[in-house]
Amino acid sequence: MKRLLRILLVPSMLFFIGCGCCEEAVEPEVAPAPAPAPAPAPVAVAQLADVFYAFDSSVLDMSTQNQLKENAQWMMDNPEASVIIEGHCDERGTNEYNIALGERRAESAKNYLINLGVDPSRMQTVSYGEERPFDPGHDEAAWAKNRRAHFVVQ
Amino acid sequence: MNTMPLNRLYSVVAVICMLVFSASPLYAEPVGQYIKIAKQGETRIPLVLRSLDVEKDKNREYGGELDSIIREGLDFTGMFTLMKSPLNIFSGGELYEAGSRQVNFPALTSVGAELYAGGVMERRGSRITMDMEVYDVLTGKQMLNKTYEGRRDNLRAIGHEFCGDLMELITGKPSIFHSRIAFVSSRGGKKEIYMSEFDGYGATQVTESGGLALTPSLSSDSSLLAYLTYVDNMPHLHIRDLSRNETVAVTRKGVKIDPAWRNGSLECATTFSFDGDQELYLVGRDGRIGRRLTRSRGIDVSPTFSPDGTKMAFVSSRHGAPQVFIKNLATGREKRLTFHGRYNTQPAWSPVGDKIAFTSMQKNGEINIFTVNADGTGLRQLTYRSRHNEAPSWSPDGSMIVFSSTRTGVKQLFVMNANGRNQRSLRLPGEQMQPSWSAFR
Repeated sequence: MKRLLRILLVPSMLFFIGCGCCEEAVEPEVAPAPAPAPAPAPVAVAQLADVFYAFDSSVLDMSTQNQLKENAQWMMDNPEASVIIEGHCDERGTNEYNIALGERRAESAKNYLINLGVDPSRMQTVSYGEERPFDPGHDEAAWAKNRRAHFVVQ
Repeated sequence: MNTMPLNRLYSVVAVICMLVFSASPLYAEPVGQYIKIAKQGETRIPLVLRSLDVEKDKNREYGGELDSIIREGLDFTGMFTLMKSPLNIFSGGELYEAGSRQVNFPALTSVGAELYAGGVMERRGSRITMDMEVYDVLTGKQMLNKTYEGRRDNLRAIGHEFCGDLMELITGKPSIFHSRIAFVSSRGGKKEIYMSEFDGYGATQVTESGGLALTPSLSSDSSLLAYLTYVDNMPHLHIRDLSRNETVAVTRKGVKIDPAWRNGSLECATTFSFDGDQELYLVGRDGRIGRRLTRSRGIDVSPTFSPDGTKMAFVSSRHGAPQVFIKNLATGREKRLTFHGRYNTQPAWSPVGDKIAFTSMQKNGEINIFTVNADGTGLRQLTYRSRHNEAPSWSPDGSMIVFSSTRTGVKQLFVMNANGRNQRSLRLPGEQMQPSWSAFR
C-alpha cells in the first residue's frame, strides 16, 4: 500500500516542482512583495484546479491525470474538506446528450481520485451538461475551457 | 479506407429513397368521402376563402378580425394556397343566410379552386355567431356546415375552432389548432418552462425552479408534463399533473435526463444513473420507477415512442459516437437506425406514422434536422445552412415540426412542414429551446 502511494506521489511531486518553476519564471514580472508568512488557505484552494477533456470524451489524458494527482494530494492534506465535482461540456452537440457526457466526466475524475486513495464519501458529482459554460465564446479556445470537471470545495 | 465507397453507396440509396418517398402521398388514406389527397411537399390545396359576410356595418370590424385570424391560422399550416373569392360566387339565395345562398361551382372551378370556405357572421351583444360552410368544388359536395359561437373578446378561439375542424376533415387527425407547445425559455440567464398555443400565442411560465429547468415533455393529451429541475445542485425529475396542478419529484441519486411519454400509457421513460451506468427506465405518473429498458455500457438517452408505444427510439453511445437505435419493447430486440454522420441525437417519432426526426451534427459545424423511416429508408434533410437546428418535436397530426434554430443569432423556436418547407419563427421574445408539441382538448 505504501509502495503504491509512493509510486503515485512521486510523479505528482515532480509535476508540482515543475509547476513551481513556471511560477518562479512568472514571478519577476509581478511586484516583489515581502511576504514571509505563507497564506495557506487560498493557495490550497487554488490547487483544486479544473481538469479538461477532448470533444465527446470523458477519457483522462496525461495532463488531466497530473492535475487530478495534485487535487488528490490536496484532498489528502485537507481531510476535513469535501467537494462537489461538476461535469461540464462545450456548447456543441445536444443538451440532453451533454448532460450524460458531463456526468461521465465528473464520474471519471471522481473514480481517479478514489483510486488515489480519496474517500468516496467526501466527493459528490453533478452534471450541468452545456448549461454553465466557463467561457461564453463560440470557438475552440472557449470550447476547450468548457469541457471540464470543476471542483467546488464545500 | 472503405468509408468512401460506403458513403457513395449510401448517398445512392438515399437518393433512391427520396425519389420513392417524394412520390408517395402524405395522407394516402381517404378519411370520409371528402378527403383531399395532400401530396407530401409539392401540392398545397387551392382554397377560396371568402371574407365573412356581415350584414350590419357596425359589426364589420369583428368580421375583418375573424377573417384575418382564420386566414393566418390556415396559412400557418402550410397546407393551402389561399385564393380570393371570384365576384360571381353566389348564383342565388339570400347573401346573409349561409343556408340559402347557392355557391356557383363553375366560377370556382374556373379559378382553379378545389375547396371553398365562407360564412356569415352576426353579433348579439357580446356574443358572436359564425355560420361556416366548406365545399369540395370538384364534386359540389358540402363538407362542413357548422355554427361557431363565442365571446367577441375571444375571436381567436372562434376562428381557430373552424380552422381545426377544416384541418381534421382533410387530415383525419387531431389538428394543431387544439394543441400546446411546452418549451424552455431563457430570460436573464435563468431557464424556466413555458407553455403556449400552437403558434407561440399566450406563452405562460409553468415552472418556478429558480434557475435551471430543462427538457419538458408533454403527454399525448397535454395532461401531464415531465421535466427536470436542478434543486440544491442535483437534477430531479418532476412529473406534473397539469389539470390538478400536482407535482411529484423523483430524487434518486445520479443524473436524470430528457423524459418522454410512452403513447397509450401513463408512463414516461427517462435516463437514470443510480445503478452506475446511464440507462433508460420507465417511470409511472406517480414517480415510481418501473422496468429498466436498456442494458449497455455507455450513454443511453433521449427516448421517443412509436404511436402504439411498442417501440422506442433512443440515443446510445454503445459504439462510441452517439447514434439513434430502435428497441422493440415486446421482443427486446435493438437495431441501429442512423448510419450517416458521426453524431446523431434527439430522435422524435412522428405521432401518426413511421417517420423519425433527429438531428445530425455535421463536419462544417452545422446541426441539421433529418427525417428517416423507422426501417432506416427514406432519409431526408429538412434544414440547410442555418447554423444549429435542434430538438425536433412533431405536431399531433404529424404535419409539422417545431424545433429550435440559431439562424438569427439567438436560439429561437421555429416551425416547418413535415417535408421541411415553410420554415418560420414563432417570434417569441428572448431565447427558447427544447419544445414539446402535443394535442390539447
